[in-house]
Amino acid sequence: MRSIWEASLVIARRDFWATVKARSFIFFMITPLLVVGFAILTAVVQSSNRDEGPKVAIVTDAETRDALIEARARLVAGTDEREFPRLERVDPAQDVRSQARALIGDDESDLSAVFSGTLDRPVLSGPERIDNAFVGKRMTLIIEEAQRNRVLAGAAPGSQPAAVERDVTAGAAGNLREVRTGVARFGQFIVFFMTLLLATMLLSNLIEEKSNKVIEVLAASVPLDAIFFGKLLAMLGVSLIGIALWGGMAALAAAFSVQLMPAGFELPDISPAIGWPIYVLLLAVYFTTNYMILGSLFLGIGGQATSVREMQNLNMPVTFLQMGFFVLALTVVGGNLGLWQWAAFIIPFSSPMAMIAEAGQSATLWPHLLAIPWQAFWVFLLIRISAAMFRKTVLKSGGEIRIMPRFGRKTQS
Amino acid sequence: MSSAFAIEAKGLFKSFDGKEAVSGIDIAVPTGTIYGILGPNGAGKTTTIRMLLGIIEPDRGARTLLGHERPLEAAREVGYLPEERGLYPSMHCREAIAFMGALRGLPLDVGRKRADILLQQNGLGDYTHKPIKSLSKGMAQTIQLFGTIVHQPKLIVLDEPFSGLDAINQGRLEQMIRDEAASGTTVIFSTHVIHHAERLCERIAIIAGGQVRFEGEVATARDRLRPQVRLRTRAADGPWRAALPAGAALRDGLWQFELPGTGVEPLVKALVDGGAGIEELAIERPGLHDAFVQIAGEAAARQIEEDRRADLEAAA
Ligand SMILES: Nc1ncnc2c1ncn2[C@@H]1O[C@H](COP(=O)(O)OP(=O)(O)O)[C@@H](O)[C@H]1O
Ligand SMILES: [Mg+2]
Repeated sequence: MRSIWEASLVIARRDFWATVKARSFIFFMITPLLVVGFAILTAVVQSSNRDEGPKVAIVTDAETRDALIEARARLVAGTDEREFPRLERVDPAQDVRSQARALIGDDESDLSAVFSGTLDRPVLSGPERIDNAFVGKRMTLIIEEAQRNRVLAGAAPGSQPAAVERDVTAGAAGNLREVRTGVARFGQFIVFFMTLLLATMLLSNLIEEKSNKVIEVLAASVPLDAIFFGKLLAMLGVSLIGIALWGGMAALAAAFSVQLMPAGFELPDISPAIGWPIYVLLLAVYFTTNYMILGSLFLGIGGQATSVREMQNLNMPVTFLQMGFFVLALTVVGGNLGLWQWAAFIIPFSSPMAMIAEAGQSATLWPHLLAIPWQAFWVFLLIRISAAMFRKTVLKSGGEIRIMPRFGRKTQS
Repeated sequence: MSSAFAIEAKGLFKSFDGKEAVSGIDIAVPTGTIYGILGPNGAGKTTTIRMLLGIIEPDRGARTLLGHERPLEAAREVGYLPEERGLYPSMHCREAIAFMGALRGLPLDVGRKRADILLQQNGLGDYTHKPIKSLSKGMAQTIQLFGTIVHQPKLIVLDEPFSGLDAINQGRLEQMIRDEAASGTTVIFSTHVIHHAERLCERIAIIAGGQVRFEGEVATARDRLRPQVRLRTRAADGPWRAALPAGAALRDGLWQFELPGTGVEPLVKALVDGGAGIEELAIERPGLHDAFVQIAGEAAARQIEEDRRADLEAAA
């Protein structure tokens, strides 16, 4: 008996070249680039017209005004510019109250509130909703700070920051946790997104097979298992090309942007808990198992479809299903171990995405040594089931695989 | 398992959705022969072939393919042209042939070389780099046929290989089948055209309604009918009339009857003595068509005739 492996390679090679030479391959290659490009563009646009925060006019005497501005400066020094509303000086007119109302009603002024009065009797004009919101609360803080300053003006030695002895550590668990959550999410997204793209290609490939009626030639020569496995291998090969190309471009982009950084700029330490080399390896492994598991599921379901329309109808729920498993896998990021998390690790359709997140946030290796064989077992099982279902319903009793209407030739009756 | 038979099947049964398509088929194909499966459309030929090749499993019964009980184990030594032809449209002819060989375990580079030779030998060298989708149906079928034999199988199985081909390609196919058989390959093909089976096959199985009605040599099928005598006489009547067998029928002045068991001599003597005046006297061996009518029945014979006519119309 010839080896299944050898037969799979024959199928895989054909599918691989057919896919790479097809027009849709270009689309496949540029889709992720478009997505990334779009994300970057949105970020750039957002940062260029960045909202500078709400603005409050101060219509008051010079002394109060300076006290407020100085108080704000002190507060901002300890926090961040964007943590407090900007202050805009306006010279007071005769009737300050109505001036304030006029200012705030003016469409051109883009003011959120207007301060008038003095530190002893501060008045804030503005709609009711600012009271328990950013503008109202932060203005209160500024006013309080100014009042305190004035009281302490003689006693305090001025605005010295507290002297703190620094005991410098290598890192901090709290920060690390945040970074690792990010790495975990990133890995999951990559795996999910790539699989989504590939699975769609796999389906269109199967449609082709059926409509060309090549399947009988294949089924007469090699085991169905080998056909299904070969198809999965081919798409995996395609994805490797994609990964190589996109990865190369990402590396180039990263190298470039490091060059562009000002001297002394230090890269933030973003490393997965398990360390980069093993992480990258695991990323590749889990991408493969995730793709193989979902791909064989797709083949099993797609193999049952009897028409292109039916196949497209199936595509939708299957994609939703995939998104469901993605969401399930998301629960393991940062969370504690509960029922959902265990489910995410064990259910084969979410296990790879959950495990890659685990690699991002935990340095323990042995769970991976359990998870990988477990997932591989499911790949094997799903291929067997898909092939058996195909044999039973399509080849055996379902009989004719009719995708296109048959023109010209008579049908057997 | 003896190697005398390339295929042996016993009591194959298969039903689809509760309807029996094949009801107990026995077949034995001697190694090195050209074997025909003859029957009208819907008789169960394709289903039988698919079971023999292991594409579908029989509900009951056993078969061996080149001695293997699991047909796929013989895959490297078998070539198969399905009734529903199928090739990848964007593949080039040479690649398509080599790919089909590769499916059967032939290395791709060897397959390509042999594809070139096959194309050259048949005057189709220009087609080497043409994609399948640019070919006519008959030409694509010829390419698929090359792909079926490129790995030089011991057994070639062709399901309705002649349908869809014009006269030239049919002739080419006939020659190819003969050449393959001459080099020791076993060829088995199905057809609903009696004369293809008659011209090519040493042995046939006549299938109708999912059952084998006859299995054996073509000559044996013919021998089941007595030779036919055709007689035309000058005299319309006379004492010689008594010498004609009881079943003799007169149509347009031509007598037709089975050759009597006593042979033709007593009859000739009676005709001469009775002054009948023999204008025409012929003794004909029956054709496979006549045998088919006798074996499969009038209904099947009428259907197979209709199938053939439908083919001609489709080709026109
Ligand atoms: N896959 C199938 N599903 C359902 N019925 C089928 C299938 N294949 C064949 N049949 C039925 O079985 C019978 C025999 O068909 P087939 O083997 O194709 O005959 P032939 O090849 O002699 O024309 C027909 O009645 C046909 O409709
Ligand atoms: Mg048929």
